[in-house]
Amino acid sequence: MRKHTGPLFYVGLLLFVFLVMFPFLWILLAALKPPAELFGDRAFHFIIQNPSFDNFVRVFTERPFARYLWNSTVVATLTTLYSITIASFAAYAIAWLSFRGKAIILGVVLAVSMFPQIATISPIFMFMQSMGLTNSYTGLIIPYTTFALPLAIWNLTIFFRKIPSDLGEAAKVDGASIWQTMTKVFFPLAMPGVFTTAILVFIAAWNEFLFALTLNTQEAMKTVPVGIVMFQGMFTIPWGEISAASIIVTIPLVVMVLIFQKRIISGLTSGAVKE
Amino acid sequence: MNRSTKMSLSEKQMGYLLIFPALLIILVIAIWPVMRSFWISLHDIRLNDPTKSEIHSSYGLDMERYVSTLPNLLRYIKREAESAEGSSKEKLNALQAQIEQTNTSLNQSGEIANRYQMIDQLLLDFKPVPTELKYVSLSNEQTESIKTSLAEVRAVLLQMSEQKLLSKPEGALGVIQGIEASIIEPNFVGFAYYQKFLTDARMWGALYNTAFFTVISVAIELVLGILIALLINRPFRGRSLVRATVLIPWAIPTVISAMMWKFLYDGQNGIIAYLFEQAGLISDMGMLLTTKAGAMFSVILADVWKTTPFMALLIFAGLQTIPQSLYEAASVDGATRTQQFFRITLPMLKSTILVALLFRTLDAFRVFDLIYTLTGGAPGNSTETISIYAYKTMFAQMSFGEGSALAVIVFLCVALISIGYVKILGADLLSDGSGK
Repeated sequence: MRKHTGPLFYVGLLLFVFLVMFPFLWILLAALKPPAELFGDRAFHFIIQNPSFDNFVRVFTERPFARYLWNSTVVATLTTLYSITIASFAAYAIAWLSFRGKAIILGVVLAVSMFPQIATISPIFMFMQSMGLTNSYTGLIIPYTTFALPLAIWNLTIFFRKIPSDLGEAAKVDGASIWQTMTKVFFPLAMPGVFTTAILVFIAAWNEFLFALTLNTQEAMKTVPVGIVMFQGMFTIPWGEISAASIIVTIPLVVMVLIFQKRIISGLTSGAVKE
Repeated sequence: MNRSTKMSLSEKQMGYLLIFPALLIILVIAIWPVMRSFWISLHDIRLNDPTKSEIHSSYGLDMERYVSTLPNLLRYIKREAESAEGSSKEKLNALQAQIEQTNTSLNQSGEIANRYQMIDQLLLDFKPVPTELKYVSLSNEQTESIKTSLAEVRAVLLQMSEQKLLSKPEGALGVIQGIEASIIEPNFVGFAYYQKFLTDARMWGALYNTAFFTVISVAIELVLGILIALLINRPFRGRSLVRATVLIPWAIPTVISAMMWKFLYDGQNGIIAYLFEQAGLISDMGMLLTTKAGAMFSVILADVWKTTPFMALLIFAGLQTIPQSLYEAASVDGATRTQQFFRITLPMLKSTILVALLFRTLDAFRVFDLIYTLTGGAPGNSTETISIYAYKTMFAQMSFGEGSALAVIVFLCVALISIGYVKILGADLLSDGSGK
């Protein structure tokens, strides 16, 4: 119906996209600027006279940034795999099997997803310290459950409910056991939902800050967000390197968002909108 | 019939079985820590003080410290006694006997004596003392007798040192303080911290900052979110590209967006600060991060940039569920676009908006990453939120009991906000969508 998409609309749209993207563009410029242009007279110029990749090189040669990337990848991947596995079983049961207490279980899951992290940090920190699990992957993966598991259960349940349950009934009539129904009929249909949820959980684990900041303080065990924040020294902030590191982290996320945007949007919104 | 009841029974069991691991993990890793936080907040726990590094519900003895300091004390007194004469020699010998007697009475219960031997051996071998050996709990009478005995010894030593009867007074007196410090007091303080925070100006300031930040940023995000949702709801070329663009701020880590904005706001080289100064909005580039109002504004702007996309996408999804026929009917009846927005769009979006508001309000209230990175609560605590205050108390001052009390306050506020929203939303949020 609304077809007023004249040139003015596109100008407005372009302006909007520019405003949203502006911080990235500016950071990209900062990452490519040599120090002489980053500060001083040319600090506010859009055009770089002598662009260089020095900052990108320095991030890897003078800082353990590759190590941070590896740590984040390991922690986020393992968190995703383990919480998706456990959540799939739970979500399958909530969506497809009939038993009492589902509303209460979902209520608990939703309530836990709203817990402020700061309210769990002191016992978790003291526990990890006494078990010697600070500065380890396990020590981060375990507390990451507090947000990863509720997020996964909630999203998967919503996806699984959309799969017609007649299929399960039909399989039952044909004599399939619950286990067979689950593995042969259900999981193939559920894969898209599982994949979408996995993306959301991975991003959440990749971006986590408070646990990583307090539990993994050794240089070799830091994750990307903590590592970048700690680039700044006591008196100086190496903006060129911070910008380069930010761009390195942002590019894969941008690619992922471009490829999976439909899935991410459906994953983000499915809980909030009744269809 | 028989088969089907059997079937449904096993289905029920299967359901509980499948859900059990998830529930168990949530219970252990999320619910237990929150309850434990509350329990910790009732104790004076300081990780930088060895005698207060954990919850002690009764009197106890730090055996490692005790075992390593007691022989020193005896040695000091013996030496003093050797060089002393007359009545002071007798006094010192009496003191030595008294200390040995106290130690023997403590060691009467076989367990402590046994541990004494083990720890002594470990210390001799320069091996670490395991925690389960380190602490031993004492009865009230035992504690009382040790404390009075040590106090008596110290009083005598102090008196003798004032009379210049000791050759090395600081040695023995220092060691006896070390032994006294090995007695662990129960650190239960009840609701003392909560009482303290009720009248703590910094706590109320942090709570006000949190509430101010939450209300203003969520309100701006809601209005902008609706506008953007309406914008991208139209059919136009490149719509999916625009939607992807909007997703990017959401996808990047909050701390990275905070670092980006910190650079844009920078007092010397920040482009936003520069543009604001050129536009006459601020008189000096440094104002954005060094004045109270400037810092709060900066934090809110960065948050709006980062999280408006989430709001817009939720509302956009809600818009798509509104049947087109409603608008067509309204057009036929001659309703203007504005009327359509207020009479159709907004009412139909109500539950979506409430859910989006719930998520965003809670997220904003818990804000930590953004402010920690961007301002750290500065200038002068003017952007310090309650989570930041709790973090600083725990990890800068190492006062975990006190910090946990603040964390529990955050938890209670979040719970109250959720209950409020759920009351308005009703059971809608949890309703069984499958209609089973």
